[in-house]
Amino acid sequence: MYETIGIWVGAFFTLAIYSFLYKENPLYRLAEHLVVGVSLGYTISITYDITLKPRLIEPLLAGSHWILIIPAILGLLYITRFIPSIAWLSRYPIAFLMGTSMGVSFPLTMKAWVLRQLEGAMAPLYVSGMNWSEVAGNIVLILGTLAALIYFFFSKPHKGLFFGTGSKIGIWVIMLGFGATFGFTVMGRISLLIGRIQYLLGDWLHIIK
Amino acid sequence: MLNIDRRWIFLAIGVVSIVPFLIGIGMPVSTTVEVENIFDYVNELGKDDAIFISFDYAPGTQAENTPMAIAVMRHALHNDVSVFLTANQPLGHGMAIGALHYVTDPAIPDFYESVSFEDWSALRDAGIVDKDELVSAWESEGNVLPEGCSGWIFEGRDYALLGYAPVFNLVILGMTNSIEAQYPQDAHGNSTGEMPMLRDHKSLREVDLALSCSGSGACVWWITYAREKIGMPVAFGVTAVMATDYYPYIQSGQIIGQMGGLRGAAEYEVLLYENGVTVTTGKAFTGMDVQSAAHLLIIFLIIMGNIAFFAGGFHKKTALKGRG
Repeated sequence: MYETIGIWVGAFFTLAIYSFLYKENPLYRLAEHLVVGVSLGYTISITYDITLKPRLIEPLLAGSHWILIIPAILGLLYITRFIPSIAWLSRYPIAFLMGTSMGVSFPLTMKAWVLRQLEGAMAPLYVSGMNWSEVAGNIVLILGTLAALIYFFFSKPHKGLFFGTGSKIGIWVIMLGFGATFGFTVMGRISLLIGRIQYLLGDWLHIIK
Repeated sequence: MLNIDRRWIFLAIGVVSIVPFLIGIGMPVSTTVEVENIFDYVNELGKDDAIFISFDYAPGTQAENTPMAIAVMRHALHNDVSVFLTANQPLGHGMAIGALHYVTDPAIPDFYESVSFEDWSALRDAGIVDKDELVSAWESEGNVLPEGCSGWIFEGRDYALLGYAPVFNLVILGMTNSIEAQYPQDAHGNSTGEMPMLRDHKSLREVDLALSCSGSGACVWWITYAREKIGMPVAFGVTAVMATDYYPYIQSGQIIGQMGGLRGAAEYEVLLYENGVTVTTGKAFTGMDVQSAAHLLIIFLIIMGNIAFFAGGFHKKTALKGRG
């Protein structure tokens, strides 16, 4: 019974959202606002139920883990944003979070995002046993990376054989990347539509399995 | 042509997206190396191994991400691999619950029969935690596997719904030392310390793979905090929009493979079906007919738009609607 009601509600709001494709209307706005409201409500309830309650409130009520008072107070300081006269207090938890996050993540982020990527780009053009497609791929990879980097090098005018031709090839490489991203984006958007149609035709109308 | 009302295009996309579902074209889906690598890796795992599936997305990308998570979860459960389910955001928590329900729903083909942590506590207390012995003992108590069911899955042995935890990047970092320290309880309130799968896999160092099904850049956290710190193998299941951004991570060897969008999930479903893991393909595969049809229409529209643009619209400086 409840599942059926849920499916009908889901179908109604799916159609309400898609009604925007014809033109903006009150039903669409109702659905849009409900998405925001329900998401926030769900987030608050989940955060309370599986984070605040078992990890903070229950240990404190049990009389143990008094150290948790410190993060609890730091967390509560965020709420001072709503009281202008003491809003400055909210800077402390923000500073704490930013400082610890930076300290923890900086070395690993450098390794993951910069050093490993550099290592990946330093592929040998040819190693004994490689077939021609791998060699061609490595050449494209290295020349493409260099050309794209030249395009973003602004300290020299993009003229001449090296900077002029290099930056032109760089534009082509970047455009190819944008083209691939656009193709994937179209695929992604259609996938979301497919998900909704499967819901409407399957779960709601039972026309398809 | 250049001034066509966009609603006609929406209508055409709508029609093209519905008709293939009704007539069932059944176009083949070929598999790519990026997806095959994930499949082969999971296929090599057995009952002593464990993987993480992280639901790092919200309902907005559910259509793309959920089929990937379900496909890999089915594969792991089929091989008796223990599966930890986590989420980096509260809405992802709901996605994890939904995927688990889907895999254990008797109305869906290839479903698994779930046994709650409480229901098999007597066997656990008796020290029976090996999967084969557990199934024998459970069935000797008179429990019968439902018709069409793919097998038993025991909460705490085969899966653990750990769910959402805040500041998830630091949670990943913490789990490299102890999973239990980050998740003293699972989402159902069960003590993780009593779970056999956590006794065998105390930290991420003893886990064989993390699959991040993600609708945002947060999937990279698994590389930054798990892969780079302890060398944990990581795979991505990302939305199609994100897919091109993460190909460099395959090139650099930081991820073993990647499923990009619904297409990636469909490929995994095909591999499951062709290798006898499932008796049928899933929702992602059935959506591929529509995907192909919609792409053909979009290609046609792009070509027609360009022809119209260069044949007259551009040179005659025709005023386009809404562009002044």
